Amino acid sequence: MSIKLLLEKANVPGIISYEVYRREGGYASVEKALRNMTPDQVTDEVKKSGLRGRGGAGFPTGLKWSFLAKPDGVPRHLVCNADESEPGTFKDRYLMEFLPHLLIEGLIVSSFALGSHHTYIYIRGEYAWIPDILEKAIAEAKENGWLGKNILGTGFDCEIYVHRGAGAYICGEETALIESLEGKRGNPRIKPPFPAIKGVWDRPTVVNNVESLAAVVPIINYGAEAYAKIGIGKSTGTKLISACGNINKPGVYEIDMTISVEDFIYSDEYCGGIAHGKKLKACIPGGSSVPILPANLLLKTAKGEKRLMNYESLADGGFATGSSMGSGGFIVLDEDQCVVKHTMTLSRFYRHESCGQCSPCREGTGWMEKILKNIEYGKGKMSDIDLLWDIQRRIEGNTICPLGDAAAWPVAAAIRHFRDEFEWHIRYPEEAQQRNFGLAHYADPLPAPQSA
Amino acid sequence: MAEEKKLLKVTIDNITIEVEPGTSILQAARRIGGDVAPPAMCYYTKLKGSGGKCRTCLVEVAAGSVADPRPMPKLVASCRTNVMDGMVVKNITSEKVIDARNGVVEFLLINHPLDCPICDQAGECHLQDLSYEHGKEGTRYEFPRRTFEKHDLGPYIQLHMTRCIMCFRCVYAADQLTEKRQHGILDRGDHAEIATYIQQSLEHDFIGNVIDVCPVGALTDKTFRFKNRVWFLKPVQAHRDCTHPKCCGKVTLWYRGEEVFRVTARKDQWGEVEDWICNECRFEKKKTADWEIEGPTVVNRHSVISQGHYVGVHKPKEVLYDVLDGLKPRLFMDIHSVSEVNEPGRDLSRIEGPAHSTDFKE
Repeated sequence: MSIKLLLEKANVPGIISYEVYRREGGYASVEKALRNMTPDQVTDEVKKSGLRGRGGAGFPTGLKWSFLAKPDGVPRHLVCNADESEPGTFKDRYLMEFLPHLLIEGLIVSSFALGSHHTYIYIRGEYAWIPDILEKAIAEAKENGWLGKNILGTGFDCEIYVHRGAGAYICGEETALIESLEGKRGNPRIKPPFPAIKGVWDRPTVVNNVESLAAVVPIINYGAEAYAKIGIGKSTGTKLISACGNINKPGVYEIDMTISVEDFIYSDEYCGGIAHGKKLKACIPGGSSVPILPANLLLKTAKGEKRLMNYESLADGGFATGSSMGSGGFIVLDEDQCVVKHTMTLSRFYRHESCGQCSPCREGTGWMEKILKNIEYGKGKMSDIDLLWDIQRRIEGNTICPLGDAAAWPVAAAIRHFRDEFEWHIRYPEEAQQRNFGLAHYADPLPAPQSA
Repeated sequence: MAEEKKLLKVTIDNITIEVEPGTSILQAARRIGGDVAPPAMCYYTKLKGSGGKCRTCLVEVAAGSVADPRPMPKLVASCRTNVMDGMVVKNITSEKVIDARNGVVEFLLINHPLDCPICDQAGECHLQDLSYEHGKEGTRYEFPRRTFEKHDLGPYIQLHMTRCIMCFRCVYAADQLTEKRQHGILDRGDHAEIATYIQQSLEHDFIGNVIDVCPVGALTDKTFRFKNRVWFLKPVQAHRDCTHPKCCGKVTLWYRGEEVFRVTARKDQWGEVEDWICNECRFEKKKTADWEIEGPTVVNRHSVISQGHYVGVHKPKEVLYDVLDGLKPRLFMDIHSVSEVNEPGRDLSRIEGPAHSTDFKE
């Protein structure tokens, strides 16, 4: 059993209620931080812990906090990004649904560190039932003196508000989230200025993922050094992975980042192997936007080393032979899955979710979807593959926010690794309607890397 | 003593210029002028917050500043990136920029109807200019183009949503010029559209300016619709004492013959209006008597509107008289009195009327 920091108490009956959560040692970090530490000490502690943003980009959280401008007389805000809309990612939902007080606790400590007296949880509209859970938890915390005026007699005031989104993937992008929180159309802003300087209502703002903020609790409780000891290198602490797809045991798992991908998929503690005894074909290790990898590259890096479930190892080889940790949405595809259809589905998603602000993403995502639809339904041409490549190349990096990149990467990776499947779809359009391409050579061992 | 403002040195396409702090790369490039200025479809100097969306003005920053000479990893939108001291920018000298810009133009055109022959904007359309410069002859897009349900915006403004490139300029204009904006963006992504939420007309005495800020033919003047092509019209500067407190009363009248076909705000060389005008000036005052004429508008010689050649035109000298040494040229009809082509023997001057094939068969 690996170390559990966030989900340690997840199975305690009634942990959703304040009494049980408090009895199990909850809100200890608030007591410790507010009574014995200064805000800067909390920030330093988070910095030392090496905690990386769990929302997808993996930016060090402590560093982000230290960028926050602190002009006199201007209120600052902490915003919790609970707009978890990435296909394949559902870890935050699990946390909020079953351990709401853990998030509230993390929010209070983080608000204290950042000096935010009005903290917001921006939750996606589709999580319709969770705001009630969170609001109940907030009310309970307030009743017991953890929120409101003069918390624990330290003079620190903090209120937490839950704000429901209206159902837009783009509002997970921090500046679009800020616009939406202000009541405007959720279009990403042009950076700079960054939210740390001008965020909500032009005030300095920090936007953090639910899991990042929850992870502040064990960091304060156990100390930064103890937290940093877990994991390897720059991937410290534990990470929630939401595993789904063709596996025996889909669900949310907490891993310390030393486990290998192979163990994660096949061990009974986690995914429990591929469902129905089928073979692994491909996997998207970090949510729909990160590159898809064929089985052989997933389990071993191009150098022939075992791939581990952490930021560095998953990204090993760049986008040519690697992928990314992303937000931890682990999507497994077995031998019966069609990568073309899969890519088409993702493209449809990004076409639907593009905000329409900048031209490459607005027009390019729709174009890619149409071409992929043609290929999938047997109307493709060989030239379409190169055209797709050209379109994604011209979207990537030329847009305001990362949604353009997120739309381009899955298409690029699918063509890069599964080009023969695309070609097969075009060459045998009728057969492609009847059966799948199958596993083919995607799990074959890679040729040994040549040494100089 | 007033503190001297420190000027920032910026090099754009190997041309160095000094600008005030807070200048954007685009404005600095426009200061240099010519091809160095990146095209801008969504940025509008007068509209706060505009820009950054169309991505046609992307440039490469080869060196960030003197303090931090690292290049920027991505291409940046020059309209929303401020100049730093010692910045080195590559616009048309960068292959990456040209490639990205071609890509953006392709994206803008895939769903554009290309109905220029019946579009009132043709001739003064920024997208038309842009596609001539960066577009390809053919398209790689093989799908039906996007269409929208028609929205009626009232008696003055015609909305053609299919032509829209989503620059957001009209939204900013309405936000910043009128008290209560009545239109905006509905929906998102490639199905986003400019519309009023429930069909209603745009009624505000300054709303006509959205026609001028629209870079394409999505918003056109209903009082001018299908009346004429812009390149047949003669732009003339004029002004009147407008009673509207915010209206400058300075306009361009577009004449054909004696008739004023339309009235627009005056535009500078970048196609941006110099000052806003009210609806009364734009839509109601279409008689010469309403205006005091200042003189012809200077039109950029690259513009199709300049093909009218009506002002300051230098006509080339007639050289034939010189060549003929003072002799008067004879009428060319007189040259062939005898046909050398069909029957050299036949004297055409003896035939009554025009020569006919039967004349040669005899």
